[in-house]
Amino acid sequence: MRLNHVRHNSTTTSSPQKKPIYQLSQRQREFLDSALRVNQAGELAATLIYDAQKPPVVRSHPHLRPLMKHMYDQEAGHFSTFNKYIAKHQVRPTAMYPVWEVAASVLGWSTAVMGREAAMACTEAVETEIGSHYNEQVREILSWAAEAERRGEELDDELKEMVATFRRIRDEELEHLDHAVENDSKEAKPYDPLINVIRAGCRAAINVSERV
Amino acid sequence: MAQPLLFLSRRVIASSCRRLNLTSPSRIIASYSRITPTRPQHQHHCQQRQRLQPLTRTYHSDYHPSKPPQEDEYSNSQITILSAALSHVPRHGFSRDALILGARDSGFLDVSVQLLPRGEFDLVLFWLASRRGLLRNVAEKLKEREGLSVEEKVRCLVMERLRMNEMVKGEWQGALALMSLAGNIPLSLSELHALSSDILNLAGDTSVDASWYTKRMSVAAIYASAEVYMTRDQSPNLAETEEFVNRRFEDSIAIGEKLSGAKQCLGFMGTTAVGLGRSWGFKI
Repeated sequence: MRLNHVRHNSTTTSSPQKKPIYQLSQRQREFLDSALRVNQAGELAATLIYDAQKPPVVRSHPHLRPLMKHMYDQEAGHFSTFNKYIAKHQVRPTAMYPVWEVAASVLGWSTAVMGREAAMACTEAVETEIGSHYNEQVREILSWAAEAERRGEELDDELKEMVATFRRIRDEELEHLDHAVENDSKEAKPYDPLINVIRAGCRAAINVSERV
Repeated sequence: MAQPLLFLSRRVIASSCRRLNLTSPSRIIASYSRITPTRPQHQHHCQQRQRLQPLTRTYHSDYHPSKPPQEDEYSNSQITILSAALSHVPRHGFSRDALILGARDSGFLDVSVQLLPRGEFDLVLFWLASRRGLLRNVAEKLKEREGLSVEEKVRCLVMERLRMNEMVKGEWQGALALMSLAGNIPLSLSELHALSSDILNLAGDTSVDASWYTKRMSVAAIYASAEVYMTRDQSPNLAETEEFVNRRFEDSIAIGEKLSGAKQCLGFMGTTAVGLGRSWGFKI
């Protein structure tokens, strides 16, 4: 690793002001591999949850139509962003893809049928987990940037762009969380069991998608 | 009684050879290795260094280029021996003889085949990995030819890969037999997966859902069956194998169309049922 990066130093210092590129280790590559896989799976699920929630929620509360559409459109945008990353970096998509498709649609539809508050509680639970998971990823990549800084190197442009995208998406997910709380997600009955089950499910799904 | 002693002494000599960078006399050991019928037990540290699974390159990026596949899995001296041994494969097959001749050609002692803990199977794996690496050049040439669909590129790459096997066609059944030994199956399968994955990536396939898996499986199945078919193909320029491959691709397209048709039909019925329920006033 050390040798590798010294050798690389000599080859990449073409222009004087440009710093050499920080070389990723095998472990870091694996981290990015599973991070992109799990993010794509998460956005797939989010898109399908909103897609399944929209008709029942909008039917009984037509004033929520613009909000549901806004959230769905953002999730669809995130999903296509991660699809591009997966294709570009030749990352294997999760093998549980069809399972998540069914699970997410069922979750979205069943919470929406339980009522507006339950649907919003579902959004709250999911976005809490997803937001904190994005945070961990951003923190990890920023720690590489700090390490690169110490060595007098810098992350490559793709990684810089990726970390900026992760941050933007995280902020948008947390914005959904705020919308959910504004729309009485805390009024859902039974609040605690519902939230806890969904959050545990999300964490399990994240763990599974990171591996397979 | 003599056997274990002989074996022990051979190990001692072999390991001291390695310490001395393989410069001590070799003839004795070479003759021993021919008269002992048992396969040499390999040095443990050698086995430890060798990963059980070939290292899979993850997260591809232009900023972090990956090495050719064989360089990931083998050390320099192993690569030297194995590449030299490949030229003996057409005559001697994927055998210990080819390995020993390869070691001699590249200036190593006969015992240095012990550097390869899996023996002949390493030769097969090296053949597969190095040919897989060569596909990258083929894909570069395909890029220049405009207007090829991903499908056509995949077909081209599969055929090109099969043509690389033409050189060892007569010996290929032996290699297949080695690959199908119980202990070798996991590595053979992961190499097959790596090949089909590489073919699809090089052809520019960008599937990001469950079709990622089905595509790789169908390419792997087509390639593996064509490989078997090829060992009996006597036609000039592998014409029959090419027809076989084309037929298999037609089949897989037909199956894919049937499946997507069935899925579409089910989806349509589902939406109809939900819509009907909603029109009757159910809150769904």
